This record gives sequence, C-alpha cells and structure tokens, in this order.
Amino acid sequence: MTDLRHAKMSRAQFFRMMGGLAAAAAAAGCSTKPQTGATTGASGATALDLKFVGVADQKTPMDELVAAYRQARAGVTITTSYAPTDQVQTSLRTQLGAGNAPDLHVVYPGSGSAMSMTQIAGAGLLADLSAQAWTDSIPTGFKPAFQVDGKTLMYSAGSSVIGAIYNKKVFQEAGIDAPPTTWTEFLDVCEKLKKAGKVPIALGAQTPWVTQLITYALVPSTVYAKDPTFDDKQAAGQASFAQSGWRDAMEMYLELHKRGYFNDKPNGTTFEQQTSMVATGKAAMAIQVSAVLPSFRDAATSPDDLSMFPVPGADDAASVWIPAGVVVGLGANAKGRNAEEAKAFIDFLGRQENINRWAKAIAAIPLTQDASSAVDPAVESFLPFTKDRAVPFMDQRWPNAEVQPTHFAVVQDLLAGKSKIDEALKKMDEAYAK
Amino acid sequence: MTLTTLPVETPPAARTRRARPLAGLSPSWLFAVPALLVYAAVVLYPSVVGVVYAFTDWSGVGEDMSFVGLSNFQAILGDEQVMGSLGNTLLLTMAILVVQNGVGLLLALGVHARLKSRALLRVVFFAPVVVSPVMVAFLWKYVYTPDSSTGLNGLLGLEVDWLGDPSVALWSIAGMVVWQYAGYSMVIFLAGLEGVPKELHEAAMIDGAGTLQRFRYVTWPLLAPALTINLMLSTIGGLKLFDQVFAATNGGPGYATETLSTVLYKQAFVFGKFGYSTAIALVLALFVAAVSLIQISYLRSREVAQ
Repeated sequence: MTDLRHAKMSRAQFFRMMGGLAAAAAAAGCSTKPQTGATTGASGATALDLKFVGVADQKTPMDELVAAYRQARAGVTITTSYAPTDQVQTSLRTQLGAGNAPDLHVVYPGSGSAMSMTQIAGAGLLADLSAQAWTDSIPTGFKPAFQVDGKTLMYSAGSSVIGAIYNKKVFQEAGIDAPPTTWTEFLDVCEKLKKAGKVPIALGAQTPWVTQLITYALVPSTVYAKDPTFDDKQAAGQASFAQSGWRDAMEMYLELHKRGYFNDKPNGTTFEQQTSMVATGKAAMAIQVSAVLPSFRDAATSPDDLSMFPVPGADDAASVWIPAGVVVGLGANAKGRNAEEAKAFIDFLGRQENINRWAKAIAAIPLTQDASSAVDPAVESFLPFTKDRAVPFMDQRWPNAEVQPTHFAVVQDLLAGKSKIDEALKKMDEAYAK
Repeated sequence: MTLTTLPVETPPAARTRRARPLAGLSPSWLFAVPALLVYAAVVLYPSVVGVVYAFTDWSGVGEDMSFVGLSNFQAILGDEQVMGSLGNTLLLTMAILVVQNGVGLLLALGVHARLKSRALLRVVFFAPVVVSPVMVAFLWKYVYTPDSSTGLNGLLGLEVDWLGDPSVALWSIAGMVVWQYAGYSMVIFLAGLEGVPKELHEAAMIDGAGTLQRFRYVTWPLLAPALTINLMLSTIGGLKLFDQVFAATNGGPGYATETLSTVLYKQAFVFGKFGYSTAIALVLALFVAAVSLIQISYLRSREVAQ
C-alpha cells in the first residue's frame, strides 16, 4: 500500500487537482448564491424579499405588522431576525461597515449609542423618510430623536416611560393604598414594604442597561424640572454632570441602597431575576422602562396585579418630572437595492392604525393618537406628565456612544462601594467630552 | 565471456519532466493546500488588510476615514481602561495558567492510574471542553447566583456575590475557565504520561524510589514537552479571553473584569471607534506573539537540558 506521506505527486497532477477543486468551489458558490432583489414568481407577479434585523423587543409588533403588510401588498415578503441588543449592534455595524446591511434594521433614537439614528445617518446610511405623511405629525419635543437637519431618518411608534413597575397585591398586603407622589412618601413606602418582609425594589444591576434606569427616573425632577435647557447648556459646555442635579440623583440612588431597599447583591442580580422577583411577589417593585412591562406580565401568575407609577424625584409633587423617550425604531438602508420598497413598508407602519398596533404591543404611548388609540392602563398615570413635565431619555441627547456605558460602569462601582459620586460624575463628564 | 548490457529504458524527455515530483511537497502537504488557501482568504488576508485601519479614525460604518498616523497607538498608552484591562488580563492569565495546568495534571495522574472507571472519567473530565464557552458562561451564571440557598453558595454554605463583587468577579471567571479547560490540559498531560516508558519506572522502583520520587525524577522530566504545549496554549487562551467574560459579566461590575479583548470589542462595536480598536487588537496580537515566543523558547531549552 502506498504511504501517502512519502508518495510524490507530479506538478501537473497537483495543478489538475487544484483546478478541479477550484471549479467545484466555484460551482458550489454559484449554486448557493443568495437570491436577492426582484425575482419573478411562478404566478408571474414580481416577488421581493426584504430583510429586517431588529432587537428582541421589536419581535411582537413586527411579527404582527409584517403579516399585515403581506396582506396589504402581495408579492413582498419581509424576512425578519431578532437578537439581543449587543449581538444586533455587533452584527449590524459589521454589515453596515461592509456595505451589505439589510434593507430595514433597528435604529435607536437620538445620538447616544453606536446604533443611534444620528451616528448611522452621519455615514449617509439611512434613507430620508421626510416625504412620508406620518412625519408631519411628529411632536416637536420628539423631533431631535427622529431628525437630523430637518430630515426624518427613522420610524418609531411612540414613546415609553420609565417608572416603577409594582405588584399591587404586595402593596396592599403591606397596607399601602396608593402609590407615592413625593420622594418622602416613596421612602416611607419602601420602609413599610421592608418591614412587611418584602424586598421594596428589585434591582438587576448585573445587566448593564438596568443600572441606568433609577438615575433616569430621578434626573428629570432633579435636573430638568429646574432647568429644562440643561442639555443645550451641557452641549455648549456651560453645564456638567458634576455641577448639576445629577449629583442629587446619584445621592438618592445610593440612599435607597444604604437603607437596604434593594435586593441583596444587586450587582450579581440579572434583569431576568429582577423580573421574576416582582412578578412572583418576592419584591414589590422594579424601576423599569414601560416597554418591558409585557415581559413582567409574562412572568407573573396574575398579570393584572402589575401596574406602574411615576417615580417621584422631588418632595413637591408639582416638581416631579418623568422620563418619556421615543422607543427603539427602525430605518431603511439608503444604500440597499430595495430602498424604495423598504421606505414603502415604513410608510405603511406610519399609518395611524399601525402606530396604534405597534404601541399596544409594547405598552407604549402612540406617537400620534386618534379615537382608536389606546394607552395601556398601567401607564395612564404618566399621561398628565407627558404634556409639559416629561423629558426624553437622557442618552438621546448625548454626543457620543461612550457616556452611556460609562454611566453603567460607574453605577455598578457605586453599588459595590468601590467608587464615590464625585469620581463617578467626573468619569461621565470625561466621557461626554470625548 | 560475453558482457551483456541490460538495455536501459530511457523515458522520453517530456515524460521525465511531467513525472518530476513537486519539490519538497508530499501529498499530505498538498492536501492541506485547499484548507490553507481558505485560511489565507478568510483569516490572513483580512487580518493583514485590517492592520491599515489601526492608523485611521474609521468609525466602522460609512466611508469617512482619515489617516491619523500613530496617534491611536499613543492613545493606548494613556488609556486607563486599556491599562486596567491589561492588568486584569495578566492576572486572569496567570491564574488560569497555574490552576488549570495544576488541576489538569492531577486529573491526568488520576485517570492514568489503573482505575476501573478511568475511560468514563476521561470522558467526563473532557466533556466541558466541547461545550461552547458562551454556554458555559450562562450555565455558571446560575452556579454563581448570589442567592445563598442555591448554586455554589447553597452548596458551600456561603454568601458570596461571585460575579457582582468587584474583588471576587475576576477570580470567579478564572474558576469557570479552569472548570472548562482543565480537561483539555488533562488530555495533553495524559498523552505525555502514556509516553513515559514503563522500564524507567521499574528501574526506579528497583532502586527503591517511592511514588513521589518516581514522579519527581522520572515522570515530571519526561512530561516537559506536554507541559510546554499546555503552558503555551493556556497563556494564549488567557490573553485572548473574551467569550466567558462577555457573557458572564460584560466586563463589570464597573471595569473589574474588563480584558483587552472586551475593551477592543467595545471600542469597535459600542463606542464606534473601529480604528482605535484595531490598534488595540494589533498590540494585543503582537503581545501574545511575543509572550508565546519567549515562553516556548525558554520551555524548549528546558526540555533539551533534560
């Protein structure tokens, strides 16, 4: 038997073999070439497949609306895929960089993350949606989240709020009749819950984005209620985190921690554990964004026990402001070969009935409202604030993608007792200045 | 006597040329060529081309980019996060290097002994190696739950915040990496142990050497090649550690478990600084190569000496 290690192959044999392999590879490559763009179906109608990549939060509304679009526009299908934020950010940025991004993809409002509207639009990769009718009704306060230089570059179905998701049953058992409306009342409620043997506030600070929500809930009252133009001043270099109500908000955050109102070891607790604690009644509340309310309801044995109230960040109920931010949306790839068809889908999403459907699926407040618009009963208590006592989520106006992760990290350090507020705010100011 | 000359068959010149073997390449090498071509196209070429980005300010999307010379590399030196993560990476690597190989050696010695169930035990100890590191990290997040009634705390009767306490989290990650890869070290040590001639052990026994002395003077010196491979692989693995950290803590709490790999990932995909990230990646690659070369040259010289 020939010993292959020592057998010799002629140069011609080698080149013949390589030629064969190359031909086989080429044939295989051709046969697996993805089918993109317009093709003609068996019926003779033009068939088009649009690709959408989104985050997990978008799955419920997108599944519903993609099915509706299929009914409304025959011949166009939309293939969707979803993943958690980190993974989507990684794969989408790679695709955007390589020039093979999907026709439609998730876009975060404002400017504070690597997948935010401003950052992607800066590279000229988002199609202009300004000609679509729904864009005329974007509320003025939300325009910075949707627009750059007057051009609308992303779609979002509405806004969500940050507040306390609470278990009404646990509140009743602790003898609490109504949600608190001032900071002092809030501390009293926490004390009563603690004495009743419940964890007053579940905090899953091991999941980075959860760390920011308590400061976000408090800062509207400690910063923006006193100075609604804070963002503009900060952008102009006339204000900073360290020299503002951000310090008060951080102190209030840590006061809750020092008084033992959080679960034990919040830095080792995840968002999923936080959800479970409130849903099962082990904890009374969690300070969260309303978009995750469906997840809390899914985990609860009796979903009707869950509701929300605004976190009162001030001792005067009239000075309490709330964070109300545009929910994560989507944009059309300006460089994609199906850009027009992708824009047509967004135009479909912009119809009032579809805004209502999307908003309902994620417990959001619809971007624009008509008689058929419904607001989730759990967020009704926020509606009086949305007119003149609400500010967008803070990161939507931050100038770069570094401030938000820095905020996550410094909060974890503060909770671990490894850092001081001065140091934390200094790091955030340094990140803002980059 | 008739001198008969056997006719010498002279092949045609063309045939000689065609039949000439490809200089220095045997088929076993040639069969590797397609794989090497794919490797070159998918790994080598993009890596070399990617180096160019280290000298630019590219954000990772769009076409705007300008050359910034060596400023990315200068920025690395003054970057607290990179320097902090370098410290974490070195500590993690040292911990993994020592504990993983120590445990791997003990396991190898254990399953090399004449135990009835040794085949089964080898499979059991090696099993974690074949699981995806991300899966292992998610699994260990449950093991490391801060709840004192379940997980590792429940088992040991402790109340440690394994992944949430900045002073413990790094070692917790080292623990999960060791759990996963000790079986890998075990297999390499086991291969080394199988190669130790029985005669040497018998001779040492006749000379009156006890178990420990036989290990010290017979087994250990002959395990040197296996030790070289194990130390090098665990060093490289430790310096590049990403998956487990990313899935278990994402570099937190704070910056307590940031490694060079997680920092460069965040610079590229979270902060949108692709050029700077590539510069960090380049420095990391050169650093890993330098450490590995020094390590292998030292360990190889040790093998020769023995």
